[in-house]
Amino acid sequence: MNSQTVRVGFLGVAHMHSVSYAQNLLAMAGVEVVGMWDRSPELAAQWASRLAVPHFASAEALLAAGLDAVVVCSENCYHRPLVEEAAGRVGAILCEKPIATTAADARAMIQRCADTQTRLQIAFPVRFAPAVVELKQQLDAGLLGEVWTVNCTNHGSMPGGWFVDPALAGGGAVLDHTVHVIDVLRWLWGVEVTEVYAEIGDSLLHPGLGIDDVGLLSFTLSNGIYGTLDTSWSRPKSYLIWGDVKLEILGERGAVHADTLHQYITLASDAAGRTAWAGFGSDMDRGLMVDFVDMVRSGREPSISGADGLAALAVALAAYASSASGQPVQVEKMV
Amino acid sequence: MLRIGVIGTGAIAGVHLSAWHQMPGVELVGYYDLAKEAAERAAQRYGGQVFGSLDALLAAVDLVDICTPGTAHKANVLAAAAAGRAIVCEKPLARHLADAVEMVEYCERQGVPLFPAQVVRFFPMYKRVKQAIDAGTLGRPMVYRSARCGSFPRPGRDFSAPYYADFNQSGGVVLDVAVHDIDFARWCCGEVERVFARGLTFSGRPFQDHALITLRFVSGAIGHIEASWSHPRTTFTTRVEIAGDQGLAEWDSQDRPPLLVELYDEVQGYRRSGSNPTAAVDEPYYAELAHFVEVIEGRAAPLVTARDGLEAVRVALAAIESMRAGKPVAMQEFGG
Repeated sequence: MNSQTVRVGFLGVAHMHSVSYAQNLLAMAGVEVVGMWDRSPELAAQWASRLAVPHFASAEALLAAGLDAVVVCSENCYHRPLVEEAAGRVGAILCEKPIATTAADARAMIQRCADTQTRLQIAFPVRFAPAVVELKQQLDAGLLGEVWTVNCTNHGSMPGGWFVDPALAGGGAVLDHTVHVIDVLRWLWGVEVTEVYAEIGDSLLHPGLGIDDVGLLSFTLSNGIYGTLDTSWSRPKSYLIWGDVKLEILGERGAVHADTLHQYITLASDAAGRTAWAGFGSDMDRGLMVDFVDMVRSGREPSISGADGLAALAVALAAYASSASGQPVQVEKMV
Repeated sequence: MLRIGVIGTGAIAGVHLSAWHQMPGVELVGYYDLAKEAAERAAQRYGGQVFGSLDALLAAVDLVDICTPGTAHKANVLAAAAAGRAIVCEKPLARHLADAVEMVEYCERQGVPLFPAQVVRFFPMYKRVKQAIDAGTLGRPMVYRSARCGSFPRPGRDFSAPYYADFNQSGGVVLDVAVHDIDFARWCCGEVERVFARGLTFSGRPFQDHALITLRFVSGAIGHIEASWSHPRTTFTTRVEIAGDQGLAEWDSQDRPPLLVELYDEVQGYRRSGSNPTAAVDEPYYAELAHFVEVIEGRAAPLVTARDGLEAVRVALAAIESMRAGKPVAMQEFGG
């Protein structure tokens, strides 16, 4: 397939990352965005027209157009049916995070893809942020010696829309923001999260929201490292930037302060009525899409598997279970 | 496959070679250097051959990348242009305005592209500032301010240190360093009307140089550039700030970097270092050279032209003249 055009279709574009993924695919040589479908025809038409790509009336019609790969960027609860529909019809699927809203759904998706020889990749773009890549290189080279602890945040702005509808999203800030950092930690050290204790709050920063908007996880990793993660949607609209992905790693030789996306100029705008940070960092979504297309073309296994998606989801599910019970929860029980 | 030849394989060539080496669609054919052992080291590390003469290199390539000290730019540009080769030339284009004019005009007559390596235009934070101006976020850019501060290129350590230390060869910190900011300021605020500068260039202090340059642009905007080879050793900082009538953009290399490492051991004591990494294709020297290839192959319009490189030299030389004379220099009348 190396010299052939890679044909990609979008099943579900409700997640705004679909736009960035599509823009990156459109900028790559030898890749065709065949079209977009969404359960909301208006949304599919809107994004498709903005990106100047076709939109389709049904998922079946898009799959019937002949695709090499599918990107699933629907609401979280539809990841499973869409992945199951595409499995066996395409060689590879990129599924937005979190892989699903329940471990049972995630397991079913992984099984179906395995049964149909469909390679399933989960979209964890933070692995492609240059600072995260360099962090892993430095830690692998022994920068800190023995590592003891990691203090993490993945703050964000409250996204609204379907993200705050429990039926569609499956969870709020804790589900939305646990999986990115947990995936990075699992990848940095090749470990699993073993135990999670969590304090979670519903509607604390956004009265009446009806879903969790703040969360703190305290966890242990299988290599003995302990750490915490703040997943809160705690950046107000008036803040400088949408959020952050930070890892403060402490070991016997010193500390690394990784504010992984902090590559900003400061930009004051009278028209916007505020001062904000504007990013100049390399687009991590580009790295993710280059990696995905390479996987589609080469036939190799995905760099981020369905099992990786399930493992990260299980940590979020363990956090909710811990918050409900008030006790630490063993993550393996959630898988 | 565009065939690349590199002339001069000293310090700045290192970053160029690393970029060429990684770039798809080009072939790093080889090197020519008066110091043959430097060219041999480059060939060992990045492949390609060592050419015994400039003519031999010119016969074997499509593009020459001139990374020699500035004193050798002119002869190499003229030879490459005579041979009809596309040219990338490190900044500053030349030490003297008449030489820069001759180089640019000869390349134009020969129909040969001459790309001045004004790399600041390819640094992502500076690009983002320019993007904010182009998007109208700042309104009209009216007060420009930037700085580029390091220590003197260490005598005796770097091969090219004697070049930097000799004002007659290098033009000192204004022509070697401020030329970056002058080019970026012109990109953001347009043509320069007049220049006034003070500094250490003529202070008689060995291995020190520093300048504070005050600019007035044709648009009415004012600008300030600091260039230094007199800051504490091992430090290098840059910053830029542009105020418009509707907004302001700023960046400082001393802002918190995405990776900050603090280490301690009994032998080396406390060490602190920062890193601001990019993806390989966004690394500024790679992005710059890849852009020049795109222009040569007709896939992009040039972001920086030989005339830009020439004007940056002219403004830098005017700043030096102002420093020497203690008077403002009007650009319209300044002929070197």
